[in-house]
Amino acid sequence: MPILTLKFKNKAIKEYRLEHGSNMTIGRRSTNDIVIENLAVSGLHAKVDSMDGGFLLTDLQSKNGTFVNEKLVTSHWLKEGETVMIGKHTVTFSYAKDELRPQEADDNATDATMVMDTTSYRDMVAKSSPEQAAPAPKTPSQVSQAPQPQPQPPSQGGNAIGVLTYLAGGTGDIELTNKIVKLGKNKANDIVISGFMVGQTAAAISNRPNGYHIGYVGGMAKPKVNGETVKESVLLKEFDVIEIGSTKFQFMYQA
Amino acid sequence: MAIIESAGITDVGRKRKVNEDSLFLDDKMGLYIVADGMGGHRGGEFASKIVVDTIPEYMSQKNDSIPNSEALHNYPESISEESKKLLEAITCANEKVYRNSKEKQELSGMGSTVSAICFTDDTFIAGNVGDSHIYLVHDSGIELLSVIHNVITEQTAIDPERAKRLGKRFKHMLTRAVGVEASVNADISESQFFKNDQLILCSDGLSDKVSSEEILDVAMRESPGKACQTLVNMANDRGGDDNVTVIVLKIISVETAKSGVVSKLLQFFKYIGFLPKKILN
Repeated sequence: MPILTLKFKNKAIKEYRLEHGSNMTIGRRSTNDIVIENLAVSGLHAKVDSMDGGFLLTDLQSKNGTFVNEKLVTSHWLKEGETVMIGKHTVTFSYAKDELRPQEADDNATDATMVMDTTSYRDMVAKSSPEQAAPAPKTPSQVSQAPQPQPQPPSQGGNAIGVLTYLAGGTGDIELTNKIVKLGKNKANDIVISGFMVGQTAAAISNRPNGYHIGYVGGMAKPKVNGETVKESVLLKEFDVIEIGSTKFQFMYQA
Repeated sequence: MAIIESAGITDVGRKRKVNEDSLFLDDKMGLYIVADGMGGHRGGEFASKIVVDTIPEYMSQKNDSIPNSEALHNYPESISEESKKLLEAITCANEKVYRNSKEKQELSGMGSTVSAICFTDDTFIAGNVGDSHIYLVHDSGIELLSVIHNVITEQTAIDPERAKRLGKRFKHMLTRAVGVEASVNADISESQFFKNDQLILCSDGLSDKVSSEEILDVAMRESPGKACQTLVNMANDRGGDDNVTVIVLKIISVETAKSGVVSKLLQFFKYIGFLPKKILN
């Protein structure tokens, strides 16, 4: 089984044997398997898991980060002889002689799909941005003094809300918050449009990841977008004019 | 109503020993599902299987036999009843996977993506969690209908330049999955369908290897059955690093009551829910 050697200023302090099929935690608190008593080290700083024949190092959202080969890492498959830097301490990973080591192919294990803890991933992405990760090595205090601006989460579906403004046949604005908005003569529609030629449901507007699409459903009066008859469906662009019978709307995105 | 021709294939690929993908297709129900499982040991396989078993089971229940629980019915008013039902089915699958992963240690940490298409009389609903793609082929164009829940895609939406510099591993890092947390948030859309429209559902084993333009090209040239095989072969010929699953479905005709006052009236009454469906069918 591999050995983790805890060092301070190149002097070995203690050796830990890492069993296959188990894990080890590293941190300041005495409940950790590897305890590092230093204020630069988080209470629960990092862990090493035995997985699929290899050993995976994971930073547990530590305040000052975990570095391998002078690079900030969040998760990393440990290889023979690699040194993990935590605060001013280092932990060296080495296999015992004649020990079975994971094959090169096992490095692909990081290709396996994983799910991020949604609350922590933005933080992790921020930490891995090149501005932070590239200049190495850093002292722990520098890292903690450079908080990254938190990116805003993308809105649901990534789309702004579309609005229809009446140009004729009505007044006011209609927000397209429904996933599908049906337009027609029937009272059951989301938007009721009168007119002899207008179908019970004449058209439908659906909100899809790439934008709003309007499609023809039924009736004699086919919808027109910017004067062109919609045979099936088209993607709406901002300021498009929609015409159904004698009713007219302009499509816009909410400011 | 849409008359559909469909086909689906799941293949282990060239590198993996286990196929953790699952699929479900049923033209009668108008329901199509691809699920890509993940998580150690045999958990991924199990998770994706739960997803493709639970959703059809839930969707085939009569609405009045569904218990009126808060957890299942807590959705915004902005979606149709059928969309709600699909979200409920995904919620149900999420609970099942989550419960199993908590109860059985060997399944701990398992999860799955889900991409599902469900047809109503005049629309189809696309719902998804994770990174399995749903494409719509309409009028010689291809459009992504699913919202990809991985770190790269979400970061690209915020800052494309910085996202480019993120490592490759972020591509396979999902921000949402079925069964990983106690609740799940699926993305959903509802659209009309037209004759000759095609929908393609696939796991990342295909979308990582074959571009959307290439998928469009194959879908335009070949029947669903043949297109599935061609696409799987393409992914495998390019390394087959992951399990490959694909469903291709094509709307071969759309049945509408076009003429006659009576059928129009019936359609109208059916629309407003005046007549029971029995009389109409």
